[in-house]
Amino acid sequence: MASRRRERILSMKYLDISSGTTAVGLAFGPLVPEFSAQNPGLLDYVEVPFEQLLHSPEVGSIQDSIPVILHCASMSVAGFVPAAETTVRLIDQEVRRTKTPWIGEHLAFISADPLGKFSEPALSPTALSYTVCPQLSEETVDQVAYNLSKLQPQFDVPVILENSPQYFDVPGSTMAMTEFIGRVVERCDVDLLLDVTHFLISMLNTGRDAMKEIERLPLERVVEIHISGLNVQSGITWDDHATPATEPVFDLVQHVLQRAQPRAVTLEYNWSPNFPHSTLKKHIERVHEMVGRS
Amino acid sequence: MIAGQIHAVIAAGLKEPALLARWQEAPELLRQYGIEPGAFDLGALWKFAGLTTKVRHNGLRADIPQTFRLLNITGLEIEVFGAYATFHAAKNFGPTVQARIDDLLVFLERWLDFDRLEHALLWDLIRHEAALARLRTLENISGSQIGTLVSRRRPRLSSVPRLSGDVILHEMRSDPRVIETILRRKDPKLEQVPLATSYFGYWHFQGEVYVLELDALGFYLLFTIDGTRSAADLGGLIGASPELPGGLLKSLGDLADIGIITFD
Repeated sequence: MASRRRERILSMKYLDISSGTTAVGLAFGPLVPEFSAQNPGLLDYVEVPFEQLLHSPEVGSIQDSIPVILHCASMSVAGFVPAAETTVRLIDQEVRRTKTPWIGEHLAFISADPLGKFSEPALSPTALSYTVCPQLSEETVDQVAYNLSKLQPQFDVPVILENSPQYFDVPGSTMAMTEFIGRVVERCDVDLLLDVTHFLISMLNTGRDAMKEIERLPLERVVEIHISGLNVQSGITWDDHATPATEPVFDLVQHVLQRAQPRAVTLEYNWSPNFPHSTLKKHIERVHEMVGRS
Repeated sequence: MIAGQIHAVIAAGLKEPALLARWQEAPELLRQYGIEPGAFDLGALWKFAGLTTKVRHNGLRADIPQTFRLLNITGLEIEVFGAYATFHAAKNFGPTVQARIDDLLVFLERWLDFDRLEHALLWDLIRHEAALARLRTLENISGSQIGTLVSRRRPRLSSVPRLSGDVILHEMRSDPRVIETILRRKDPKLEQVPLATSYFGYWHFQGEVYVLELDALGFYLLFTIDGTRSAADLGGLIGASPELPGGLLKSLGDLADIGIITFD
């Protein structure tokens, strides 16, 4: 048993980011194993959520053929309920096992105090299974700084923060998304996972000019970029990993690349097993070209 | 407003759609949590709950892909899944893809407005895809075994028909195969789908799944066949005129020719 485990570990692939080139990968989804097998060498890595590895450990076998970058939605970095110690320990186990170069975590919250906290202190926190954009305020910036000061020392690799999509105004917000991200980076000295689609969605939903606003971001701190589709439904622009990124998304990426030198660009097309392989391939090649690897 | 408290309200509303619905009806309830009712776009929060519910149903996309495409291009995604989140409040979603599709069908049947074209087409399409998905998962019965059951003899009024294989029946307002064809186009125009009552039988037989377009009589006959009633009984049940046993027997004979029924 132990020797089989050792063999497995020896056969795992790890991402080498020392070359200085920008790696291009896919977010793990139902079509990734087949696509990766059919297109050897096209993908540099697969980004896998910690939560998926936790609930479906067999997903980890993808690393027998391709390196993994670890993504995470469990640390509730912008929340007021700390992540459970057990969760943090399990994340660290995956960090060590995958040898991920960093952990991409959402600048968001996934759990919150129970509504009746003050009247009934015994109530458990409200835990969600997805992340939510926080209140954009100095108070939240302080909390992110506090949370990161506790979390970062527990890992040997950096935690980088991914901007949330903003679908509605969170009451009590005192700043716009761009300012909020900037304040967090400044206060916490943290690098960014810039989800360009999230950023565009936030700008569209708050009536701002994405091209102008993105200039105000600390783009030199961008380590990784996320790209996905978006779609307008019921009067709001939403994230959509089942449809291809649109031209405005690629325009923004191009703009970001003029100032940023990300180590990785991840295409998040992981919601549908029916996503056309031809589009996937075309978009990967397009990103290769954009980062100067064609 | 205290950020932690705001997060608590958002999380509670997302976790408990019934609570969110109560706040939408009586926004002043938010005051007890230190939130001015006007400061909170509860409608947008409700829509966000719809997005999260949609994402939690991504596992259904392999079985009902064109249904998701239709929801997307008609702009119904958030409306449908937002309402579904409220409808399904406090219950766990089914443990299997099939169970989740069944739950979604129960909701849609109650919620859809069949006078709206896109709703009517959605109802036809999801039942079409769900029927095919369900039948494709069935264990195959060996062909030779089924073959011996097939009878080609002509029925009499005393004959007792039985279904052969597995059959799902749906009355539609359109032909869902046409909806599928149109949805595969780059710029699908759903108004091009002709509307007319149609009857479909989804039939799993000898390891294959067939879509049969039926006439009304064949459809209702298949609906009433239970392996105990005779052809004459079926005629009585569906209100066939006693003077027209020939039509009834012909229809049963046609179904037997296809192989979907046999006679004792």
